[in-house]
Amino acid sequence: MARTDAALVVADAGPLIHLDELDALDVLSGYTEVRVPEAVWREVQQHRPGAFGQTGVQWVRVTVGVPSPRVQAVGGLFTLHRGEQEALTLCLQDGISLLLTDDTAARLAANSLKLTAHGTLGLLLRAGRTGARTPAQVLALLEEIPVRSTLHVRPSLLVQVIQQARAAWGLGDE
Amino acid sequence: MSHLIQAEVPERLWLQAQNLVEQGWASNLQELVNESLRRYLESHQDVLAEQFIQEDVNWGLHGKD
Repeated sequence: MARTDAALVVADAGPLIHLDELDALDVLSGYTEVRVPEAVWREVQQHRPGAFGQTGVQWVRVTVGVPSPRVQAVGGLFTLHRGEQEALTLCLQDGISLLLTDDTAARLAANSLKLTAHGTLGLLLRAGRTGARTPAQVLALLEEIPVRSTLHVRPSLLVQVIQQARAAWGLGDE
Repeated sequence: MSHLIQAEVPERLWLQAQNLVEQGWASNLQELVNESLRRYLESHQDVLAEQFIQEDVNWGLHGKD
């Protein structure tokens, strides 16, 4: 049975890479542990060699065995990569309900396994909600996504997200 | 894990699907339906991605955890 608290999370490569590109990996410091399966760890190190040097985040590198038949089934259906399959396996194996991923197929697969999945945008906005970053800092990071990160978000959609955040935080339109 | 689904299919689609299986384009109807669903989902990645982003926004701004 997956835990409903979010103290422990499992991370796929996308959010770790994108947050590191934005110098914002510290938004993960509120989690008790950020568990990273081996294939994801290697992928992140390949793209962002310094990412796991982020102080304040409790990284846990985990060697994951053969994906369970359930994960293999959804992995095939959603054509998931090794890292994504390992991340889902780790969630099920350790009873962790929250997967951090920016991959649409991985999110679909997570949903089909009754797991919750959130990505970089959600983590940044959460940082504003929890006080890990000020709303102004979060808005600045959101605006910098197209130029500082490899996260692809349709520009008009990103504008909508920023508007929603400004409204929620009572900052009004620019 | 897999799920058993039941769905009504228009006669014309059904015949076309059976024809594809008979011609060897798919091993059986189950494979054809799975492949069709996979391709449909892939072709709707943008819509899904936007839906997930909106879920992220709601969680990020108003979530409890």
